[in-house]
Amino acid sequence: MKPKPYLSSFFLLLIAFILSLAIGSVFISPVELWKILRGLGNETFTFIIWQIRLPRTVLVALTGAALSGSGAAYQGLFRNPLADPFLIGVASGAGLGAVIAMSIQWPYSFWGLMAIPMSAFIAALITVFIVYFLARVGQTIPTTNLILAGVAFSSFATSLTSFLMLRSTSEVRRALGWLLGGASQAGWTAILAILPYIIIGLGILLINGHRFNLLQFGDDQAQQLGLNVTRTKTILLIAASLATAAAVAFSGIIGFIGLVVPHILRLWFGGDYRRLIPLSIIGGASALLFSDVVARIVLAPQEIPVGIITSLVGAPFFLWVLRTAKNQGYW
Amino acid sequence: MIRKTLILTLLLALAITGCAPASTPTEAPAPVATEISATEAPATEAPAATDGSTFTDDMGREITLAGNPERIVSLAPSTTEILFAVGAGDQVVGRDEFSDYPEEVKALPSIGGSFGEYNVEAIVALNPDLVIAAEINTPELVKQLEDLGVTVYYLGNPTTLEEMYGKLETVAELTGHDVSELVSSLQARVAAVDEKIMPLSARPNVFYEIDASDPSKPYTYGPGTFGDLLITRAGGTNVGSVSTDAYPQLSLEQIVIANPSIIVLGDSMWGVTPESVLERAGWESIEAVKSKQIFPIDDNLISRPGPRLVDGLEALAKILHPDVFK
Repeated sequence: MKPKPYLSSFFLLLIAFILSLAIGSVFISPVELWKILRGLGNETFTFIIWQIRLPRTVLVALTGAALSGSGAAYQGLFRNPLADPFLIGVASGAGLGAVIAMSIQWPYSFWGLMAIPMSAFIAALITVFIVYFLARVGQTIPTTNLILAGVAFSSFATSLTSFLMLRSTSEVRRALGWLLGGASQAGWTAILAILPYIIIGLGILLINGHRFNLLQFGDDQAQQLGLNVTRTKTILLIAASLATAAAVAFSGIIGFIGLVVPHILRLWFGGDYRRLIPLSIIGGASALLFSDVVARIVLAPQEIPVGIITSLVGAPFFLWVLRTAKNQGYW
Repeated sequence: MIRKTLILTLLLALAITGCAPASTPTEAPAPVATEISATEAPATEAPAATDGSTFTDDMGREITLAGNPERIVSLAPSTTEILFAVGAGDQVVGRDEFSDYPEEVKALPSIGGSFGEYNVEAIVALNPDLVIAAEINTPELVKQLEDLGVTVYYLGNPTTLEEMYGKLETVAELTGHDVSELVSSLQARVAAVDEKIMPLSARPNVFYEIDASDPSKPYTYGPGTFGDLLITRAGGTNVGSVSTDAYPQLSLEQIVIANPSIIVLGDSMWGVTPESVLERAGWESIEAVKSKQIFPIDDNLISRPGPRLVDGLEALAKILHPDVFK
């Protein structure tokens, strides 16, 4: 039977979505959900769904989509199986920005509360720019340079972050919570804030599928095949980083989704980026939604930061897929 | 080509909806939430009860309570202790994971709190008419609860014992109780300690150990913490006061040079015993170790900013000056 990747992906996403809406301190069955959607549901449940679970579900889905889509993009750009959206420093930059913002006492107002996500977002983008210009050699951006500059700058930012966290001991708990990743404290405002960036970033990645394929031949070959390599790389890098920075701003650092989901999809459906990028986007949303559900039920009523679940569950799952995949020499 | 155009059009449409000015989804909860809380009409009469009283919390936010709250959720252990101390224990319906005093709070439902994540759904499901947040809770959590129509009062941490009495009075006012007796008795107990300490000239060096997982770099209380304040008030000199940080990590060298004559184990609740301290490498030269003056203490009496700080003061005074405090 011919596998239908898009159909199964959307189906999985639908299941994940419903699960995320149904599960919580009180289980709301799909039948009840359908009633609530039509406006006929129980009052308390309607409130919980629309004001708590739906914004959280949408935010988690968006975050997973952005992380996974840009993960696939980074893997395509760097032609490296270890590439993930945090490779060139987005995570550490965002972390540094967030921790710096946390050491200041902001007024309790709309902008005061937006200060931390905004700092994280801006710091992430600044990091990417710095790494980009550090790696630039004349008119080209050699991939190796990008990786090295990214790793070096990441370490620098991470140690600064640790230092700042140790200095302001009152904010350590808050900083740690943010760094471990958690999509709970946001709501519709957060979604509206990051939606444009994620749409633009992922959109650009989606329409460049075939250019990713060309890049797989190597910079020189791609250039000879007619691709403006430097310009393409720059645009794709900015797009992927934009989406990642937006995802990280409110949800903190959630690892593994950007690394593992594209790999799994590549093992199942092959490495054609015209298909891989959209599938990664959908798959990432599902994966993070499932992880978030697990994070909510494992130690109920206590919630575990979702970043812990993605690493704990993602690693064995990935290893299992790796062992059972048929096309072993895919990379 | 067609596919690209289709995708681009779709994206444009989505982007336009995304960039639309934020219509007010956050205002929608208000009507639903007030309907929910209206079914919980407060029933009891209590001394300081007034209808529709407005309070300003420690973040400058104004909250209004219609009568005494009957369904209070506490987000921090110190808040729970204060609530029960002022007599509002029956009005509490939920508490955070770490609240463990008094004994009866363990029977109340927990709404999370470890890992810094609180189960907002559980809080809302309890239908609280007042949630009291402490400094340990983030402003984001307060905002999120506020957006969901929950009344939140942010209670800042006191920095002195007098401020702590003030917090007791605030919570008493919020919940409709009178704490003048409690505050008087607390003040009397503190005054009793002060009285006995004042004539003493000896102020022994004390090392208060918060954590010594790495025995060569233990953590202690520095200036600005209640630990430091209470040690001084109980007639001791806090070794950690030489630092500028609130929770400094001192090196073993600094402790050896300070040569405390008493070591207080705040980490005794994690299983650290005085005997284990005697066996630590490099600690043998310290006066307290040589004379075996190492005492366990319940750190919750020192670290939780509530009425039990007075218990902590008395416990420290007994340890530091056993001849004066029987």
